[in-house]
Amino acid sequence: MCAALMAESERVLARAAAGDSESFARLLEPMLAPAYRLAAVMLNDRASAEDAVQEASVKAWRKIRQLRGDTSAIRPWFLSIVANECRMLRRTRWWSVLKRSEVSRRSAEPESYSDLHRALLRLSPDERLPLVLHFYFDLPLEETASTLGISMPAAKSRIYRPAKRLRGDLTLEDVIR
Amino acid sequence: MSEDRFRRDLNRVFEDLAGFPSSNLHDRVRTALNAPPHHGGAYWIAVATAVIAILVVGVLVMTGSLRSTRPSPAVVPRTSPASSPTAVPYSCVTQDFTLKATAPSTTTPQVAYISAVRVESQRGHDRVTIEFENGLPTDVQVSAPFDGTAFTLSPSGMPVTLDGSKGILITIHGADLHTSYSGSSDMLTGSSTVSEVRRIQDFEGVVQLGLGVAGTGCSHVSFLTSPDRLVVDVQAP
Repeated sequence: MCAALMAESERVLARAAAGDSESFARLLEPMLAPAYRLAAVMLNDRASAEDAVQEASVKAWRKIRQLRGDTSAIRPWFLSIVANECRMLRRTRWWSVLKRSEVSRRSAEPESYSDLHRALLRLSPDERLPLVLHFYFDLPLEETASTLGISMPAAKSRIYRPAKRLRGDLTLEDVIR
Repeated sequence: MSEDRFRRDLNRVFEDLAGFPSSNLHDRVRTALNAPPHHGGAYWIAVATAVIAILVVGVLVMTGSLRSTRPSPAVVPRTSPASSPTAVPYSCVTQDFTLKATAPSTTTPQVAYISAVRVESQRGHDRVTIEFENGLPTDVQVSAPFDGTAFTLSPSGMPVTLDGSKGILITIHGADLHTSYSGSSDMLTGSSTVSEVRRIQDFEGVVQLGLGVAGTGCSHVSFLTSPDRLVVDVQAP
């Protein structure tokens, strides 16, 4: 059953790599929700998160040959493109027109935040990223490292440092089990 | 607080932050994925045109034809600078877009409501994004950059001068800037490329926006969908 699913994924990926956008959309389908959540946490803005996922999907489509037919690499590969898109959005969003409703919504939100919520938002988007991958998505360390584009020991450190800033008494063993 | 509770609480915060994606995200992505070949075609046509232009100029220079007609090499027109960091073929001439072929076949003319205007600084260019509701406009013209930033407001006829050294006029037919738009009509961006965006006309279904820019003012214009957007990338100085 599992082998059949793998073979089907490989066929869909091959069709996508050959230029079939419908096949690529099928491949992305199960990853859109996690991609959106990652972007929403990084950007702290749901509308921008959807924009980021859309743009990242188009960029991923253009780079699909990078995958070289490896279906197991799709998720970390796509999530890393989404994370890059979020970084780019953060860098370039130095000026924009905000609708009045958005301004009032943004200024009203902090009232309802918990201490942990506020502490999390004090972290930079790049510090939130490994926490999302490790705690929220519960990805294996290897996949977290692959998404971040770093080694496994470096990934441990990238997860532990911001986690310790959220709760000072955490040990590395508490975080990486 | 136990370590497990920390995980639970943190995940709850993540859930509060992210919520759920809107139901049309899948459709947005699917539509966007279907769009690139269309834009890609235009892109490659533009690249091919630029390459041919460079080759023609090169051949003329090699054979001496150009030198005989143009004594000063400084006056050779720039087409697509190859040094663009994003490899986007910027054009320094007027760019026209008519969407009649892709517009829905309705009997009454449709008006595209401009809902947002944004300027973002990106590597090598500033991106002016004009977002539409109710479909794309039927016809868009982005002028070639011209010296000075003097514009005439319509219909008042009042002269205005924008920040910057060159002007670009964006004319959008079949659109309005007052139904869905609540932002500023005169935006001073603080950028060193597109320094000002100002409404020049919003009258009888024709919207004109003036850009005050620095540098060459060469631009690359494209349409993006989901949501519908007109994107003008203005080359940085």
